[in-house]
Amino acid sequence: MSADQLPYRVADLSLAAFGRKEIQLAEHEMPGLMAVREEYAPSQPLRGARITGSLHMTVQTAVLIETLAAIGAQVRWASCNIFSTQDHAAAAVVVGPDGTPDDPKGIPVFAWKGETLEEYWDCAELALTWPGTDGPNMILDDGGDATLYVHKGAEYEQAGGVPSPASDDSEEWVVILDHLRNSLADHPGKWTAAAKAIKGVTEETTTGVHRLYEMARAGTLLFPAINVNDSVTKSKFDNKYGCRHSLIDGINRGTDVLIGGKVALVCGYGDVGKGCAESLRGQGARVIVTEVDPICALQAAMDGYQVATLEDVVETADIFVSATGNRDVITATHMSQMKHQAIVGNIGHFDNEIDMAGLAKWPGVRRENIKPQVDEWLFEDGHGVIVLSEGRLLNLGNATGHPSFVMSNSFTNQVIAQVELFTKTDEYTLGVHVLPKHLDEKVARLHLDALGVRLTELTKEQADYIGVTVDGPYKSEQYRY
Amino acid sequence: MPLLTGLMQRFSRERPFDGLAIAACLHITAETAVLVRLLRAGGASVSLAASNPLSTQDDIAAALAVRYGIAVFARAGVDRRAYYRHIELALAGPPTGAGQAGQLSQAGPDLVIDDGGDLVNTLHTQAAALLPKVKGGCESTTSGVLRLRRMAAEGALAFPMIAASDTATKRMVDNTSGTGQSVIDGILRATNTLLAGKTVVVAGFGASGRGVAERARGFGAQVIVTEVDPVRALDASLRGFRVLPMAEAAPVGEVFITATGSVDVIATEHLAVMRDGAILANAGHFDVEIDVRALASFAASVHRDVRPHVDAYDLGDGRTLLLLAEGRVVNLVAAEGHPPEVMDLAFGIEALALAWLALNAGKLPAGVHEVPADIDAEAAGLVLATAGTSIDALTPAQLSYRESWRIGS
Repeated sequence: MSADQLPYRVADLSLAAFGRKEIQLAEHEMPGLMAVREEYAPSQPLRGARITGSLHMTVQTAVLIETLAAIGAQVRWASCNIFSTQDHAAAAVVVGPDGTPDDPKGIPVFAWKGETLEEYWDCAELALTWPGTDGPNMILDDGGDATLYVHKGAEYEQAGGVPSPASDDSEEWVVILDHLRNSLADHPGKWTAAAKAIKGVTEETTTGVHRLYEMARAGTLLFPAINVNDSVTKSKFDNKYGCRHSLIDGINRGTDVLIGGKVALVCGYGDVGKGCAESLRGQGARVIVTEVDPICALQAAMDGYQVATLEDVVETADIFVSATGNRDVITATHMSQMKHQAIVGNIGHFDNEIDMAGLAKWPGVRRENIKPQVDEWLFEDGHGVIVLSEGRLLNLGNATGHPSFVMSNSFTNQVIAQVELFTKTDEYTLGVHVLPKHLDEKVARLHLDALGVRLTELTKEQADYIGVTVDGPYKSEQYRY
Repeated sequence: MPLLTGLMQRFSRERPFDGLAIAACLHITAETAVLVRLLRAGGASVSLAASNPLSTQDDIAAALAVRYGIAVFARAGVDRRAYYRHIELALAGPPTGAGQAGQLSQAGPDLVIDDGGDLVNTLHTQAAALLPKVKGGCESTTSGVLRLRRMAAEGALAFPMIAASDTATKRMVDNTSGTGQSVIDGILRATNTLLAGKTVVVAGFGASGRGVAERARGFGAQVIVTEVDPVRALDASLRGFRVLPMAEAAPVGEVFITATGSVDVIATEHLAVMRDGAILANAGHFDVEIDVRALASFAASVHRDVRPHVDAYDLGDGRTLLLLAEGRVVNLVAAEGHPPEVMDLAFGIEALALAWLALNAGKLPAGVHEVPADIDAEAAGLVLATAGTSIDALTPAQLSYRESWRIGS
């Protein structure tokens, strides 16, 4: 298949009208994005940019995509997860505000909910393929898949071919190698040329940032990167406030149990765990925290939470939430010991925090689907546990992930990072950068009016006294917020 | 105290207590002084005794006597005998001449204000001759109201008493906010302990206990609630508190606060299993919620006042328990009682209720009565007005909708 014949691949363009309505609602809740759209509209700083995006194709992402386009960029988009696309949002972006399903006038999107792994990497390649050019000159990535694909393509072109998969390679890696093998055969030199054309990547999330730092350390990074994840207005907000909102939403939509009065166990008291604990308490749950890190454990205790081990409370808690970023936190043995109809869910990035494979192998266990993303796993002794989203991110699986306002913070960082890299290419050397603090502060500033916040301004004397300028930045790089 | 100050002008003009004698038994604090002056401005002659042997602020008592000519019978740290003697003196009323002070005059009060029920009780048991003259009175605390209801149930209460503590506004502001805040204040002043991370056990989840529990949580404590009433226990549970029987809370708690209005809430079997260093404090009106006698007999030795208002009970097995304020109401003994705003409202309701009683007592049978709802609303409205808070008024259409049963969806 070739991109020439397929300017878009989405589930159903007839969903565009619904998607457009949701986009319009989201625009109101994304004041930062709308403000940069307005600020940069006259100067069109991204004119000439060909941005390939690989990021969950949701309603909020649609506002991001249209913001990039509004300030001059050409954009092609794929999702970064096989399940996370909202098909109506994808349809609306393709149709565009001025098009119709019969005459789409929007932006090429290659994403739908429920892709196979083959389809997923087809979409990635389509988004990275710009007919008539060397490819994208910018990447906007979430998790690093688009960056990985270009890097591996260029690497294998240099090496003269794609290696055969090893026996212990994951299913997904085999698919990636197959795709690259076909690509190298069809278009030799394509990825080397693309890597050369790319001015840089802006990376959304922890996982992708981790990959970028590894490549930078190994000397294999081919273009500069901005780590958007570690902007304060991204990680602190998205992780804490986003999860605080969407955890409860997911539990409610999945189960509709009364949370007040229940005992809820939150595994992990990092930014995500803190948000989860706070919102569960806000609903009237009695929250217990588990931790491995003594600092976070002490923080939880000082915040008034009981800190216990999972084993201590496995038989008495009603709701279990894993938010650790680690594997095998809630095991099949734990689930075998839980109360009847205990609720088990994960809000960490990967699906290995709850041992679903171990659960499926438990002798005599039976899975009964209640509704999409809600399963009761029944043990031989008659007790069952309710597992949300098959152990994957329940806030995305059972609800709609982070709300627009939170994503506006993250995505405003993305747009500013794209403008920085594209317009000040020379200032960003090969390596991984974070956005300068004054831009982080700018993102926050753009969201204050919508909340009716009235900011106090330093006097010159006060600014001098603490050694900053009146307009900021206000904190040292070490400040932890 | 803007509410009482505002009423001062009104009572000076209207003089609702003209020619009436009022005997009051209250904690002698700065706020009480303002109430007493208000009653006097309304035309009453006032005599005052303390409602707690420890809570009197002697400087306030002196100022009332010397500067405002109030008959005050109160001193901090008196024994039980002197405490009741002072109440009898207050009932006798202001001395009418030299040599007569201390004798029960035939005059006696027309109205009474009580705080805990000791004055009303003394009046019925030690000075029954004064009863015919008494029109009625107000009781300030929940504990006192419970006692009055028991009196009324036995037919022993001779006049109408208004349960001034039992209004929606007072429960909200005085018990939940005021007691909630000042009990924590008392514990902090007495012990200087960090509450964050501590396990705090609150016995009783009534209006006061709820306020204490919520504020302890606000400080970062893990709060356990004990209750006997399933409705309140469910309320606590739905608000996210862990609810346990005291027997199970006793071995895990680090700070215990009783707010039940009951007796022996913390008893020998609980003391026996408590952790070393556990802090015991009582927020209830009487000193019976923690069984102090049991604690004393259980302990190998007692070190008094290791800090002001902290007694260390060495149990002789390596454990020491810290009793605050001798088990008496900790917010008054170790801190300053309720903040003035709270007492402003409580006393405002009481003054308004008393003025209403001066006019309407004859229409009421003996027994315990609620504060009329419009007086409660009036007090709340006056507080809002003094704070500069405006609220909406129902429109005529809304009023008629509320009163109609014909209008459906």
